[in-house]
Amino acid sequence: MPLPPAVRLAASDCLTALGDAGSTHAALLRGEVALQLRPVLGADGAEAVPLAVVPGRGYDETAPPNWLGPLQALAAPLAGGGWGTARRPVFVTSSNFGVGSLYAYRRHGDTAHLAYGTPHACVDWLAAALGWGPHVTTVSHACVSAHLGLLLASRVLQAGLAEAALVFSFDFISPFVAGGFHALKILNAGMPAPYADRPTGSIGLGDGAAYAVLTRDRGEFALEGQSLHNEMHHFTANRADGAGFAACLEPVRAAAAGRRVWLKGHGTGTLEAGRLESAALAAAFPGAPLVGWKGSLGHTLGSCGLVELALACVALRTGRVPGTVGASGPGFQPAVAFAEISARDTDGVICASNAFGGAHAAFLLGHA
Amino acid sequence: MSDSLNARLKQLIVTTLKLEDVTPEQLADDEPLIGSGLNLDSIDALELVVTLEKEFGIKISSSEESRQALASIAHLAEFIRARADPSRLPG
Repeated sequence: MPLPPAVRLAASDCLTALGDAGSTHAALLRGEVALQLRPVLGADGAEAVPLAVVPGRGYDETAPPNWLGPLQALAAPLAGGGWGTARRPVFVTSSNFGVGSLYAYRRHGDTAHLAYGTPHACVDWLAAALGWGPHVTTVSHACVSAHLGLLLASRVLQAGLAEAALVFSFDFISPFVAGGFHALKILNAGMPAPYADRPTGSIGLGDGAAYAVLTRDRGEFALEGQSLHNEMHHFTANRADGAGFAACLEPVRAAAAGRRVWLKGHGTGTLEAGRLESAALAAAFPGAPLVGWKGSLGHTLGSCGLVELALACVALRTGRVPGTVGASGPGFQPAVAFAEISARDTDGVICASNAFGGAHAAFLLGHA
Repeated sequence: MSDSLNARLKQLIVTTLKLEDVTPEQLADDEPLIGSGLNLDSIDALELVVTLEKEFGIKISSSEESRQALASIAHLAEFIRARADPSRLPG
């Protein structure tokens, strides 16, 4: 995909199991791990796996879903912003939306769950709850969903079709979603340790929601060099030579030429993808420190790109970048930073995400 | 017991994965299952692992262990013999 010109980031925030962006950033700096071992199938039990659930929200599905309250709290600063109009469109992204509701219906037979079991039903319901108008676009592209939403919003702005765009993303984990990852054995009883060179890999899953307000010319940060690439290789595996990672990073590398950056990688805790990703990042950005935060927050799935963007904004603002919490050396690459690093001598951050289906995404974020 | 377990595994592979052009007898004990040979992919592996866990009451705990176990029929048989209750193995 051709790179869109830079856009500004006027506001952003996120919600994780550790709180909003400020609270999450502070907790990561303290090395807190939000993931806790709990039964993968919730009330139905089964193996205990690392999951990070927003405090006060139950893991098992309810009808209406128990994530509406946390989402409304996250979106409170956006109230009255006229979102969902032609000049202020909304892009809602998720990899799962309310799919857990279908499993809940299957388990309990309660038809009340069915009202939330499809992306459009979920988004319509959310738009009504948050007072959005009809200009709401629903986007899903596995775990690079939020990146695709950012790219589409940027294009609308650059085409002059809107004055501001809201990208909003949410993925709340459920027994259905976690059960799928567990069946693949990449979610197992082990805690994730992103980029750590160890014999067995594992990931954690976490609740995540976030938003970003994009404009053409107003905001503290600039979003540049957005890149999306699909290596068209396999549903659940990457090309063994890492070419897909490298191809996605190339436009971003070019956009960041001459700048000193730090790297926020995808880093779920799987071994093969972690090796390939960290090697590609090291090749594209020699010497740049690499961190990943999913060892604490878990993988927030389709929302991870937006959740981690909000956290990267706080890191840029404060100059303090949380390290790769939950992991320790040796790492796959010397540049993996397990402890906090400083952003004060850098000109921005490369944020990268990867997804099933061979999808890769990355962008450059810096001060405007 | 080894031969009967190997035979049972071959039968499970063919039936679980609905292999149309392969009979259990055509599968060699040392034939690679993933990536070459039968060329099974990760979705096939997922289906197979679920079947094996139910059939033999074993647990495969990670994707790395799954890959090791599914290296070949012989590897798989060895993996199962080391973990399954003997009463669940074919006589």
